[in-house]
Amino acid sequence: MEFALETALNLLGFVVGLVLGIFAYIGFKNTGSPTLFRLNIAFFSISIGFGVVGFGYLVESFVLNYVKIDVWIQTLGLGIQTVGYFFIAFSHGIKSFFPKSRYFKSITMPLFIIPGNSIEHIIRSISFILLVYGTIETVMSYMENRKTSTIFVATGLGLLALGEFLGWYSAVFPKSVLYFISISTKIAGLGALFIPISQAPLRGVRFGSNV
Amino acid sequence: MAATYRTHMSIIGDILATTRDEAPDESGANVTYLIRKANVSYGRLSKILEMLVQQGLIEQTTSERACKYRISERGREFLQAYRGFREFAESFGLRI
Repeated sequence: MEFALETALNLLGFVVGLVLGIFAYIGFKNTGSPTLFRLNIAFFSISIGFGVVGFGYLVESFVLNYVKIDVWIQTLGLGIQTVGYFFIAFSHGIKSFFPKSRYFKSITMPLFIIPGNSIEHIIRSISFILLVYGTIETVMSYMENRKTSTIFVATGLGLLALGEFLGWYSAVFPKSVLYFISISTKIAGLGALFIPISQAPLRGVRFGSNV
Repeated sequence: MAATYRTHMSIIGDILATTRDEAPDESGANVTYLIRKANVSYGRLSKILEMLVQQGLIEQTTSERACKYRISERGREFLQAYRGFREFAESFGLRI
């Protein structure tokens, strides 16, 4: 049951990320906008990351008939998702990500001090920091433009960050429900990112060359 | 209030919007009118207009006195799609 739920949620994440990525790609293809190109890479990475975990689980259990799923699949999927989160954060400009002030360094550096015995934990930590950064930048943008869809995106990024944090924290309680809550939270986050697309007029999007 | 930097794409969007919504008559808007309404220099506007005509997004009509430009059906569709993508990017606090 747990396995099925986990796989289904990862495949749902794959589909949602893919739709967002395709929309950004159509936008990039038609406008040549670097911003949409970065969002395109970001969402395709997130989608592929979820897909690697979801399809990896399916292949290992139903095709290869493994009893225990390899840990590296999860690590690889999370790593690819982190690339996506990086590009979302990078779109806002990475300059303020590494503060020059010694005081701020003393505050932010402990965030990087993480259990060093697991690549997965390191990746989750990086994802969390990138997503929190993206959330803060998006909230700042909301303060300026007061667009409702912006607050949905900020909520989505925040939920993704919370999902990564819960996923990381589930290492403390490995057999608990925390991991499923983590994936569910991430899917809810992706769903919130989907809202701006649902508000966009998609009719007439069929141009073939960059302007 | 700080001046807002406009990207190349947003200037194109402004020009298309001007030719669609603010053209003084049915034959379209002339260059001087577009310079004033879209707030862009003559040199830059000329290059963009040439490209937009080539792409079929605006139509050029030549009369005795001056060239005029009006948005094509394809241009209207593009402008609608552009606004959708702009909304999408702005939702992330970004500009295209």
